[in-house]
Amino acid sequence: MNLYGRDQKLMVESLYPDRAVEYGEVLSALGRFMQEKILPLSPAFDTHADSIGRARSELLKNGLLQIAHPKEYGGLGLPFSVYNLAIEMLGAADASIALSVGIGNTVAEGIRMFGTESQKRRFLTRLISGEILGAFSLTEPSSGSDAKAAKTRARREGDEYVLNGSKMFITNAGEADLYFVFAIAEKGPACFLVEKEARGLSIGEDLAKMGMRGSRTSEVRFLDCRVPAANLVGEEGKGFDYVKAMLNGSRIVMGSICVGIAQIAYEKALVYSKQRTAFGRSISEFQLTREKIADMKTRVTAGRLMCQYASMLRDAGVDFSSEASQAKVFATEMSVGVCDDAIQIFGGYGYTTDDVHRHWRDARLLTIGEGTSEVLRMLIASRELARSL
Amino acid sequence: MRLAVCVKHAVDESELRADGSGRPILQGAAAKVSTFDKNAVEEALRAKSKSGGEVVIVCVGPPEAKKTIREALAMGADRAIHVVSDPAGRDSLATSYLLSKALAKAGPFDVVLCSEGSSDTYECQVPPMLGEWLSLPYVGYASKIEVQGAGAKIEQSLEDSSQTLEVPLPFVAAVVSEINEPRYPTLIQIMQASKKPMEELAAQQLMGADAPQSAGTVVDTRVQSMNRKRVVIEGAPEESAQKLLDALKSEGVIGS
Repeated sequence: MNLYGRDQKLMVESLYPDRAVEYGEVLSALGRFMQEKILPLSPAFDTHADSIGRARSELLKNGLLQIAHPKEYGGLGLPFSVYNLAIEMLGAADASIALSVGIGNTVAEGIRMFGTESQKRRFLTRLISGEILGAFSLTEPSSGSDAKAAKTRARREGDEYVLNGSKMFITNAGEADLYFVFAIAEKGPACFLVEKEARGLSIGEDLAKMGMRGSRTSEVRFLDCRVPAANLVGEEGKGFDYVKAMLNGSRIVMGSICVGIAQIAYEKALVYSKQRTAFGRSISEFQLTREKIADMKTRVTAGRLMCQYASMLRDAGVDFSSEASQAKVFATEMSVGVCDDAIQIFGGYGYTTDDVHRHWRDARLLTIGEGTSEVLRMLIASRELARSL
Repeated sequence: MRLAVCVKHAVDESELRADGSGRPILQGAAAKVSTFDKNAVEEALRAKSKSGGEVVIVCVGPPEAKKTIREALAMGADRAIHVVSDPAGRDSLATSYLLSKALAKAGPFDVVLCSEGSSDTYECQVPPMLGEWLSLPYVGYASKIEVQGAGAKIEQSLEDSSQTLEVPLPFVAAVVSEINEPRYPTLIQIMQASKKPMEELAAQQLMGADAPQSAGTVVDTRVQSMNRKRVVIEGAPEESAQKLLDALKSEGVIGS
């Protein structure tokens, strides 16, 4: 398969007729890089036969995270929707790397939107150049989507904050250089940038997962962890607003990773359906297989369009929180369904072959992470009901 | 040192499809920098990093070849010359002639690099023809190039052996893909490539009295189908392993 294929090319040409050549060259080069340097290693990442570290580092140094950030911080200044298409391609090449760098970019986005100029110069520039990796630390052992119930505390002592508590299911934990941490301070929710060398920061064991096995997930613990006061992001009391804004963009990205996962599962099933014979003919000639192929393709296209629509609203500077949640709910659930259909087309080989069922296992995370489907449906309904008043 | 690299706007073979009669569908086929030409660009960039100078990309191709040229520029070349020419009816002799005229016009160059063959048709004819048109020494199958003073030491990778040649500058060389691993341009380099100078020359401008007639005409192209042998080895593991070993030896896949 060609990661920057017909679907992606047509999307760029229809969205950006005046810049299609420029954006197309960027995405086409990135697609080739992913195809040659990441896609062939993806099965080994799933079985832990290889680690994603080197491929992720090369990809970041190639400039993936520079795409949608401002030029003044070393970015390319291109639309978020171009980055989002790149993430879709990466989701198809290897979902674990896509998750890892997607989360890394969430941290970069948080600093870009709410950080001080000094934090942007010190951290944002290095995050998007691939020099350092970020980890977004919000979920706790006893609170996930209910972030306001967080128990991690931050106490001001002179020129420092002292953090105590723990964060759970943190992507990139143990590999990240910088942790974007949500904690409750004296004036309310706040966010802090904690460097990996900070005293009192420790990382739990790598958690075994059913999918996304190439990315590292662990608990992050803070025991009298001292952070310079200069590492407070924005203001105390506004932390919840900050993470909500960060999650809106991140939810589109998680949706797009799932579009990529669904795309590759669909393409594998499509090829197999033409090769596999039953009763003397290719199974692609059977009407029930054709129904699956038609529905899979339709759903992938719909997921891509929803993610791109939310991205375009973000680029236009309008409120896109409902559309981001809609895109994530639809694309993640669509991806699980399409991967399930792919397993069905592969039959026994689908159930027993890592390289088929791993797509389902990878997609399955994302109806949970970055906001469960249930919570996002609540958000969508609340937003739409409020708009109707 | 002034280095030129000849780059082909080639059909992307990974995207190529055949019609029902086995003919490749070239209409609207995706194109790219010929895969092995990236090795030639890489070698030129490495030579420039040692000796300084400039790297110039030269490409004979249709207007769409600008994308291909920008790919080569993004790798780090300084500028490019695009000879605009429709590939229909243009054979290797005509291509090498146009390249030689463009190089003569933009030159002189100390080193002209090509790849041994293009990744789509792999005819391997342009580089030696180019040496002939330019009346320069030509070295094929170059697996190592070291420019030293007014000459270069070049290792040639031949089928069962290798040999080292010394050639004076200027020369034309065709590199093998094993010579290096081409770099991937960063996204910033890709975006900056469009700002690098690209001179456009119409093929007609370069045609002189010595322009060659077509040496041959391609009348048909068909894909070659390869039938798999579908050998099934059965038996106990040790017995099967021995049979597999024997089969691989008899096919010449591994040495006896």
